[in-house]
Amino acid sequence: MGLVSINRIYAAISAVVMAFVLLPLVAVVWVSFFSNRILSFPATGYTFDWYVRAWAQDSFRNGFITSVETALVAVVISLVLGVPASLALVRYRFPGRDAIQTLLLSPMVVPGIVGGAALFMAFIELEIILDMDISGSLPGLFIAHGLIALPWTIRLVTAALVGMSPSYEEAAQSLGAGRITTFFRVTLPIIKPGIVAAALFSFVISFIDLEKSIFLVGPGRTTLQIALVSYLEWNLDSTVAAVATVQILIIGVLLVASDRYAKLSRAF
Amino acid sequence: MTGSSSPPSPALTLPAPRARGGWRLPPAFGLATPATLFVLIALIGPLLLMFRYSLNRFVPGQMMVEALTLANYAKFFGDSFYQEVLGTTVWVSALSTLLCLVAGFPVAYFLVRQASPVWKGRLLLLVILPLLMGNAVRTAAWMVILGDKGLFNAVIGVIGISPVKLMYTPTAVVIGLVSVLLPFMIVTLQSVLEGIDANLESAAASLGAGHLTTLWRVVLPLALPGILAGTLLCFILSMNAYAPPVLIGGPSFHMMAPTVYQQVAKAMNWPFGAALAFVLMAVTLVLTTSANILVQRRYRRWSE
Repeated sequence: MGLVSINRIYAAISAVVMAFVLLPLVAVVWVSFFSNRILSFPATGYTFDWYVRAWAQDSFRNGFITSVETALVAVVISLVLGVPASLALVRYRFPGRDAIQTLLLSPMVVPGIVGGAALFMAFIELEIILDMDISGSLPGLFIAHGLIALPWTIRLVTAALVGMSPSYEEAAQSLGAGRITTFFRVTLPIIKPGIVAAALFSFVISFIDLEKSIFLVGPGRTTLQIALVSYLEWNLDSTVAAVATVQILIIGVLLVASDRYAKLSRAF
Repeated sequence: MTGSSSPPSPALTLPAPRARGGWRLPPAFGLATPATLFVLIALIGPLLLMFRYSLNRFVPGQMMVEALTLANYAKFFGDSFYQEVLGTTVWVSALSTLLCLVAGFPVAYFLVRQASPVWKGRLLLLVILPLLMGNAVRTAAWMVILGDKGLFNAVIGVIGISPVKLMYTPTAVVIGLVSVLLPFMIVTLQSVLEGIDANLESAAASLGAGHLTTLWRVVLPLALPGILAGTLLCFILSMNAYAPPVLIGGPSFHMMAPTVYQQVAKAMNWPFGAALAFVLMAVTLVLTTSANILVQRRYRRWSE
């Protein structure tokens, strides 16, 4: 077989696979403009009505707001905890370093549904002890989502730190800068792309989480993903498609933005 | 330890550069402790608590009675319904993972060896975008496509084929899962292939090896660790999938993750739900670890 024909075979297979991967995306965006009352093909006409309806629906609007709030807090938690931890993991050798690295990345490995169930039980137990409302409250959700985002932040920030020569920090310190000054004036500006990527990525990972939040939402405190799933259990119409399209748009923009800062494929 | 021997410092009063990689306990611990505590409190602690709960007894009406019993695990292994749920979960996951590997490898190979740098970047973004669409949205999309009046049936209807029942079938669940997992596989394989020197393939080809021989004898052994990583990732994710089985599989299709949710949040049978969660984790762990060991043994033989 000639080289050219082999290349063609790979290109052809890739095209088919990519079409399969992108098909759901395209389908959902397309359907969101259908004017059919009951979802069916082909379209009888096109309209923007579903977007108005989706926003008018309490569960979607509130879910969207809760999701954005939660994702922002998750970003803050994961950066505040994750950046120093990454610094420790990359720049220092200490006993138990590998164990701590494994532990910090473990929220990625423990299945969302298992971790979510465990957290839910722990919250209820705490509620009984403290006589406070935690599960189904926003702080409970924030903790869970901070946990989801943390390992991704650590991955991206450690990758940025590994790519940066420690001699810059050594130079600053040899010139008399303290550790904290060195971090804010030298290290931070250099690894900024990694941190921006980590923040954007954490936001997205938290925003789309379903498995872990499913136990932790309560009445009036539902994330957008849970609102979507509970709607889908009983209905399938273009309202969902409109919500999905908005979500795809937001995530697409964030993704393209973060890809400018750091190669996202490095996070996996 | 690299860099620990710093160049001889000039005999000035400047503070000497600190040795890298020395045993500097305090700063490292100060930096890593908050994150470590957070994971311990929000993940490990609750997991231990849940494990303890799985040994309790469930009494209807009272929820949970403190006990030290393996009854919940015995219930799982004694009940053919739950064994079937586990069986379905394992075979659906294995099949989806295999399909991802078969479909993902050519794409990853194309991205690394044949696409121009600009196109590679664009295609990678197009792979990652659906990955971050979220399971809820993606599952909704497959409902639109596979539904009785969905896109698929509309398209085959135009050609004159009568509608096919796809929703609420295992096939539909596998399709949904593959679409969820495929991007993970492509991205992982891509990063592994990236690390393999293309010259090795040219060398094999110049010595007369056909393309398939080169793949099998040169690329595969080198890519094996990455292939394993991607495969295990997909398998773990699909073992724990929630939305596809619930929404595309329908009410009579059962996989483990939705069953855990059902027991913990709906039936409020925490001891049994906890036991289910640990069975799910243990099975995933055992299968992935044995795959790891198996492949590593093979890998050693290859690399000799």
